[in-house]
Amino acid sequence: MNSLAGIVPVVVFLLFALVMAVLARRRSRAAAEAGFVNEYFIGNRGLGGFVLAMTTIATYGSVSSFVGGPGQAWSIGWGWVYMATVQVTTLFLLYGILGKKMALVSRKLGAVTVIDVIRQRYQSDALAVAAALIMVTFFATTMIAQFVGGAKLFEYVTGYSYTLGLCLFGIAVILFTSIGGFRGVAVTDALCGVVMLVGIVVLAGGILSAGGGYAQVMDTIATNHPEMMEPLSGGNMPLGLYFTQWLLVGVFTFALPQSVVRTLGYKDTKSLHSAMVWGTVILGAMMIGVTSLGVLSAGVLTEPLDAYGGSVDNIIPQTIVATLPPWLAGIAIVGPIAASISTVSSLLIASSSAVVKDLWLHHSEKQGKHIADAIIERSSLIITLAVGVAVFALSIVPPSVIWKINMFAFGGLETAFVWVLLGALFWKRATRAGALWSMIGGVAAYCTSMALGFKLFGLHQITIGITVALVLMVLVSLATKPSDEKTLKTFFG
Amino acid sequence: MLSNGKLKSYQEKLAQADREAKATVVALFATIAAWVVLGFGLAGLDITLFHTPLWVIGGTLGTWLFAIGVCVFLERRVFVDFDLDEDEAAADLQTSAEAGVAHE
Repeated sequence: MNSLAGIVPVVVFLLFALVMAVLARRRSRAAAEAGFVNEYFIGNRGLGGFVLAMTTIATYGSVSSFVGGPGQAWSIGWGWVYMATVQVTTLFLLYGILGKKMALVSRKLGAVTVIDVIRQRYQSDALAVAAALIMVTFFATTMIAQFVGGAKLFEYVTGYSYTLGLCLFGIAVILFTSIGGFRGVAVTDALCGVVMLVGIVVLAGGILSAGGGYAQVMDTIATNHPEMMEPLSGGNMPLGLYFTQWLLVGVFTFALPQSVVRTLGYKDTKSLHSAMVWGTVILGAMMIGVTSLGVLSAGVLTEPLDAYGGSVDNIIPQTIVATLPPWLAGIAIVGPIAASISTVSSLLIASSSAVVKDLWLHHSEKQGKHIADAIIERSSLIITLAVGVAVFALSIVPPSVIWKINMFAFGGLETAFVWVLLGALFWKRATRAGALWSMIGGVAAYCTSMALGFKLFGLHQITIGITVALVLMVLVSLATKPSDEKTLKTFFG
Repeated sequence: MLSNGKLKSYQEKLAQADREAKATVVALFATIAAWVVLGFGLAGLDITLFHTPLWVIGGTLGTWLFAIGVCVFLERRVFVDFDLDEDEAAADLQTSAEAGVAHE
């Protein structure tokens, strides 16, 4: 049945986000003395601690964290929450390893994108083009997963069609990203982060109330599924899965370019330090909290998976419907929808910067052409819109199992960027050829092994991609001529 | 938070960023160790608190609190506050040179 009460909070939230993006745009125009590109793609390096933390969290935390992951936790048990806890390391790794050095180097070089930094370190246009294409491809994959996850949730909870949900927040997110640029995305991300927390609290209240309280819910789970109370979940959570999840959603997340770009945009070191501490507090509450809700929903949804449509992606939507009245359900779904649109908006602006700044503008500058700010502004808006519309169109026919799509893109981006970034900033002997082989060879090995379903020791294919990328980076770098001293001085002093 | 007034040149700031990166990697390994001990390490004990197995509390909330502690330690003992924009040593040199020219 269609629920007007369910749709109102979503519409109010989207309108509010749109207004914030418009205000951010006005402020951008007033603060754009450093040029449109600097403002639109990096917000004039003006992010404070709170917004920096929230925009990183909201970019990282996607609809997969809110729907797919908790759905899996419903099936696996506390082992899945234990595994999700590894994500508490993501912010301190990003800010601690790359935060200061990226900020220093990018300011020195005048770089406004991650690819700018990579291009200048390795002095390679081919590497920059490869990085841009890989980034846009995997970003598009992730964005499709976000659109689909959000729209499915909307359909399930409100009773309105999947297409209406897709149109509603698809159009809103494309509009407010195009209008607001990086600053607009960061500000709306902060709003989304707060809303995500509210969604978790509301749903927790619903589950505990419907299940007869925490003790009753836990006793129900322990009685029905005792294996869910064990870390290995009766074999459903093997040690190999823990290991690869540590790599995928823990250790290597600091190399995700959509997160790394945030280290170019903060104001000062105080902001970075406070974002690290408070971000870890909030991210932990969010990831442990939302995944725990998946387990606790097993105390409310006690039938086999087939009774809920046969997909774990239906568990959280079903829990919302089963445990909350329509008006509260509307508020609860704003959380995952906020997670979805905050990820899409960040990826959209990063994709747009890859196309506009890293490919088009760089090519024009090389040919000695000067492009006026007004033309760049118009083109950036059009490219952001075009990428958004393309992804939107691909989402109309939904693929299945959101968290797997998300993990595929995570693995691809980590494989492509981890050694290239580490080599750029911390290894003088890393060379242009080493970086190029590492990026292309690693991604090719990862995608091929994924397509063939080939695994080593039963581990996720990220292990293959990362290993091939590392070996190629080291061997090819050592076999080729080192980068020139002048370039190295900027990166190593 | 440490504030290092001596950290002025671009090279010194890069060296400090490298030190912080190394400390962060150590912090990662410490967190992994805490995660293993507080989760798998406690899983053998048949203890529950508030209807929740102790390993769940240790492996999730315990690891989270440990990571927060790690961040506070890094912020207060390792990370240094400095200006990202200005190469102050270069600026000082330039100022001195300009002053020299003015005196001539």
